[in-house]
Amino acid sequence: MNIGLQVAMLAVLAVAGYFLPALFGGSGAVYSAFVLIAIFAVMSYGLDLIVSDLGEVSLAHPVFFAAGAYATGIISVRLGLGPIATLVASIGVAMLLAGVVGLITLRLREFVFSLVTYAVSVVALTLAENWAFLGGSDGLTGIPLFKLDLGVASYRAVTDKDLWPVAYVMLLGVLWIVRAFRRSRLGKAAMTVHLNPRLATMSGIDPQRTRLMVFLVSAPITAAAGWLYAYQRAYISADVLSPYFLILMLTAVVIVGRGLLFAPLIGVALILAQEKFMSFGGYVDRIILGTALILTLSFLPGGLYEAVRALIARLGPAGAKQDTQIEEGATECR
Amino acid sequence: MSARVLEIADLTVRYGGNRVLAVDGLSLGAGEVVGVVGANGAGKSTLVNATLGWSRGKPVVSGRVLLDGKDVSALPTPRRVAEGLLLIPEGKLIFGTMTVEENLAEGATDPGPDRRAYSAEDVYSLFPRLKERGGHLGSQLSGGERQMLGIGRALRLAPKALLLDEPSIGLAPKLVSTVLHTVRELCRDGLSVLLVEQNVKAAIAVVDRMILLERGRIVLEGTAGEMRDNPRIAEAYLGTQQA
Amino acid sequence: MNVGQQIINGLVLGHSFALVAIGWTVLLGVARLVNFAHGQMYMLGAFVTWAAIAEFGLPYALAIPFTMLVGIAVGFLMQRVMLQLTLKQDLVSIMIVTLGFGHVLHGVAALVFGSTGQILDTPFSTRNVYWNDLWFTWQDVAIVVVTILVFVALKLVLDRTRLGRLARMVAEDPQLALLAGIDVRKVYFGVFAFQGAAVALAGAMIGPRTPILTSMGFDEVIMTFVVVVLGGIGSVWGSYIAGISLGLFTAFFGALVSPAYTTPAAFLVLIAVLVLRPGGLAAKPGGGH
Repeated sequence: MNIGLQVAMLAVLAVAGYFLPALFGGSGAVYSAFVLIAIFAVMSYGLDLIVSDLGEVSLAHPVFFAAGAYATGIISVRLGLGPIATLVASIGVAMLLAGVVGLITLRLREFVFSLVTYAVSVVALTLAENWAFLGGSDGLTGIPLFKLDLGVASYRAVTDKDLWPVAYVMLLGVLWIVRAFRRSRLGKAAMTVHLNPRLATMSGIDPQRTRLMVFLVSAPITAAAGWLYAYQRAYISADVLSPYFLILMLTAVVIVGRGLLFAPLIGVALILAQEKFMSFGGYVDRIILGTALILTLSFLPGGLYEAVRALIARLGPAGAKQDTQIEEGATECR
Repeated sequence: MSARVLEIADLTVRYGGNRVLAVDGLSLGAGEVVGVVGANGAGKSTLVNATLGWSRGKPVVSGRVLLDGKDVSALPTPRRVAEGLLLIPEGKLIFGTMTVEENLAEGATDPGPDRRAYSAEDVYSLFPRLKERGGHLGSQLSGGERQMLGIGRALRLAPKALLLDEPSIGLAPKLVSTVLHTVRELCRDGLSVLLVEQNVKAAIAVVDRMILLERGRIVLEGTAGEMRDNPRIAEAYLGTQQA
Repeated sequence: MNVGQQIINGLVLGHSFALVAIGWTVLLGVARLVNFAHGQMYMLGAFVTWAAIAEFGLPYALAIPFTMLVGIAVGFLMQRVMLQLTLKQDLVSIMIVTLGFGHVLHGVAALVFGSTGQILDTPFSTRNVYWNDLWFTWQDVAIVVVTILVFVALKLVLDRTRLGRLARMVAEDPQLALLAGIDVRKVYFGVFAFQGAAVALAGAMIGPRTPILTSMGFDEVIMTFVVVVLGGIGSVWGSYIAGISLGLFTAFFGALVSPAYTTPAAFLVLIAVLVLRPGGLAAKPGGGH
């Protein structure tokens, strides 16, 4: 009964979310912003699994995003195949890359892991800029419209308004996958490896296998975002590997709070709302985004969610006052 | 004993939600050696670490620590050290990548007239063995030499109160008695020592007073003589070791 | 291919890599910290030097210390913001925060200096030396000399001075250093200031070799990472040797294979090293905390 109610509420929420762009006026710019929010949220959820669940920081996720975008670009431009084929290819390429990166980094931890994944991103950027197969510095142009042919019916997306249903369904699907992942054996194993490696070994969990598996789940999610991004922009170049996407993902994952289902979505929405509707120009926006990331991690380790909750608790009826204040002064232990 | 050099009041330490130490009061007089004994996990190390506000873990500490009447419990560890509160921790107590000379290079800056600042030469005359090993790396020293170097390193910083955590661990009986008797000698210069020991038999020979910790609380306190005659100590700590 | 010319290129490049990396070597060796903004700080060093000469009319000899002061200020500010994270040794958060700083520095530099490239000319960079069929500039000579001086000075300071001893104590065991009365925070601040100054110096010295862009800095981080891994964490001489080796490798790879793919090639070397000795990086001198 309780679970039934929960599902019903989620269903209502899901249907309501679909009409949000219309609620905000339904202009072309609003639909564009919502499509991008959905795409970048999906991109961030891939990274969220690594950061929040596995407890490592992958800086290689822009590569998976780019892999989806480039696979889509190359296959649709050069082979003329449709969105389903390009999605399958995006996922396949991303899993292949994730397997390689995962195997290389299998035994690496913490900052060495992050440095190597960062190097993967920088190397991928160099390759994308120079390799003629990927279009070199000109990139890939002329990506056809998103056109889904299902025999009896077909769907063509000309504007971002037409792409919105696709982006929204993809977002819902990914939310469901992330929720299912966290309840799955693999998701619980990842959490155990992250929070209590000793318990993990005692419970017969193989940490290296778990890491590799989580990578293989995470990369296709980010690649799916790249897939739709290629259709949305109709043009792909090496700047999908620019640090902007990395910083965007990382900020989205940490700013609201790690491990909360809707946190990356809300994070992306906040960032894009600023960039699309309250922009101060590219460079200042860059400073704002970077500063948000710095301040969150340095001063709000629990993210905005914890900060707001603490604020509400303080404003609310004088609750249990804790003695941590006194203790903090006396403690320099680390 | 005369003035109280170190006073600890209402000191509690918690790890997570568990309280692992609750010491209501403990004091150390000038030139006094006080032993802290108890079983493994009784909270001996926690007590001395918390006195310095120091730990390799992440405990929550509250309570007051007074050094010569001055409350130092709000000071960070290095400031407490500068005030003359020195701890020689259990286990890793010297810098292994540095030579003996380098370990002894750091001296107290401006300790004031009431504190004796030992020079490196003073340390060498106290432990001639260290002088022979001057150019060796800390990691090349034997257990006993490390203990001497740890004490020497602390003496260079002009301690008012010296807290020693298990100096006898891993040492041959003869070395234990050498180290402990050197500590005893130091007190003639007015140094006060809190000596944490599992080796009750060795400790009781050099201390003025002794404290028994059990499950984070002081359960017994007395002079060395009283403690030696106490059946509880004799049975649990001395008897078994004599057998 | 002119082998002699490639050796000269490799040596100059190698000293450049070593000079860019030295701040990181100390940062990682002493404080066990990683700074992803390192490349952007290098970029900033080159641009501040350019601005000091072209806009304020300072001579090169004064522009360098000015740039280093800016580098120290940036390093100090970063460490101030991240202080709690450093004391908690929360490496994961520190890494992300430094990435954020790199992003911000890039934005600030583009805002202040514009996004077009600049040429940083110095009294040395415009003077060429021709010797048989070999060619280099006086700037190249200056890079080699300054790099050697910095490495020798650093080695002497670390081995012979009180400052160096304190840094080594914190490097070996920050907790034990606290008990030795050392204010570990101050050492962390000092290390960040040194890293800022050293990488700013690198920007001022090496910037003149190529046109400078506010978007540069990524390759520098990768090369620095390779140098530090190859040389062994915190090893001053190791970094020097690794820098020179990487420089020669890069020069010959560029001449024989392709100049566009030198960073990927260096990365492959790094992967090979990590796979061959995966423990190489984890090994902490003297067993850490």
